[in-house]
Amino acid sequence: MIEEQTAAVDITFIRDMLEKNKGKMKLSLRVCAHCSLCAESCFLFNAYNNDPKYMPSYKFIHSIGTLYKKKGKVDRSMLEEISINIWKRCVLCTRCYCPFGIDIPSMIALARSICRSQGVFPRYD
Amino acid sequence: MELTNILSADVIYDLARGPFVWMSLVLCIVGTMVRTLQLISLTKVEKRNIRIQRPAAIKQKSNQNFSAKNLSRFFSDLKLTIIGTSPVTIVVSCMFHLCLIITPIFLLAHNILIEEAVGFSLFSFSEHFADRLTFIFLICAAYFLIRRVFLPRLRAISSVYDYIILAVTTAPFLTGYLVYDQVFDYKIMIILHMLAGELMLIAIPFTKIYHMFFFFIGRFVLIHQHTLGKGSRTW
Repeated sequence: MIEEQTAAVDITFIRDMLEKNKGKMKLSLRVCAHCSLCAESCFLFNAYNNDPKYMPSYKFIHSIGTLYKKKGKVDRSMLEEISINIWKRCVLCTRCYCPFGIDIPSMIALARSICRSQGVFPRYD
Repeated sequence: MELTNILSADVIYDLARGPFVWMSLVLCIVGTMVRTLQLISLTKVEKRNIRIQRPAAIKQKSNQNFSAKNLSRFFSDLKLTIIGTSPVTIVVSCMFHLCLIITPIFLLAHNILIEEAVGFSLFSFSEHFADRLTFIFLICAAYFLIRRVFLPRLRAISSVYDYIILAVTTAPFLTGYLVYDQVFDYKIMIILHMLAGELMLIAIPFTKIYHMFFFFIGRFVLIHQHTLGKGSRTW
């Protein structure tokens, strides 16, 4: 389902995208208290027997959080791992709730844009 | 000999009760202001009316008087919120944050020091009451620790950093509790208490403890589907 390419990842492009959104994204990642109160707001979390991997916070920490942590220096297999969190485990319904008002959908959306820019996205054909 | 003098308990005590207090306060206030201005600069005033309108049926419902039916509907709606999904955590969290804010502000010993330093102070709780509040705070902190250690959902997103921040937040209260009850050596405990408090103040703007300020902007100022109140800005 996920495009499997062996082409190299454009790290400069990823870094540019991360840099453009740095202010909001890094602040949002920093203020997340890792309280897990967002969990039940995700219908997939409820549908998959409360599997922590479906928690909104897990999904953004292990996607855009990983990209910022690695400063964009990721390889294709890492992007494919990230893509599972942002496509398979999230439908971007934007209903996730954070007690602090962190804009979780925008974080998932940015991670999706970065993955898509490198040709990593679900294929249905 | 000189090194022993420099590191003696009296010298550290004088530093901790003097310059370190002012340094940590300045770092906390300036850091928080810079961080908040940075957050405000990342957002812009929203002139369009983009607020999500509540459906007419709900509006009408909320205008009705408090009848038994409406109250039961109110409580069944409440079950869908985090109060319904995690009631214990919400109660513990409210108590934790309330004790965290009010205990140090209205503590008699702190207010005496403030009175000596600046000439005025706020009213104070009785020492016994403040001691009970500190105890409640510590119980709540223990709940958060146990939750983080044992709940799979917390473990999935926790790192050493989360435990360090919980320790930084709890240390001033734990040492303060031990100081008041004069457990262990008083002099060493009071030094540890002051240093722990100063460390927590410095940590506020630079760590996830900043959520205490982000909450008010994130929930009351920024417009999104979970905004409390009117909201005026967007990212």
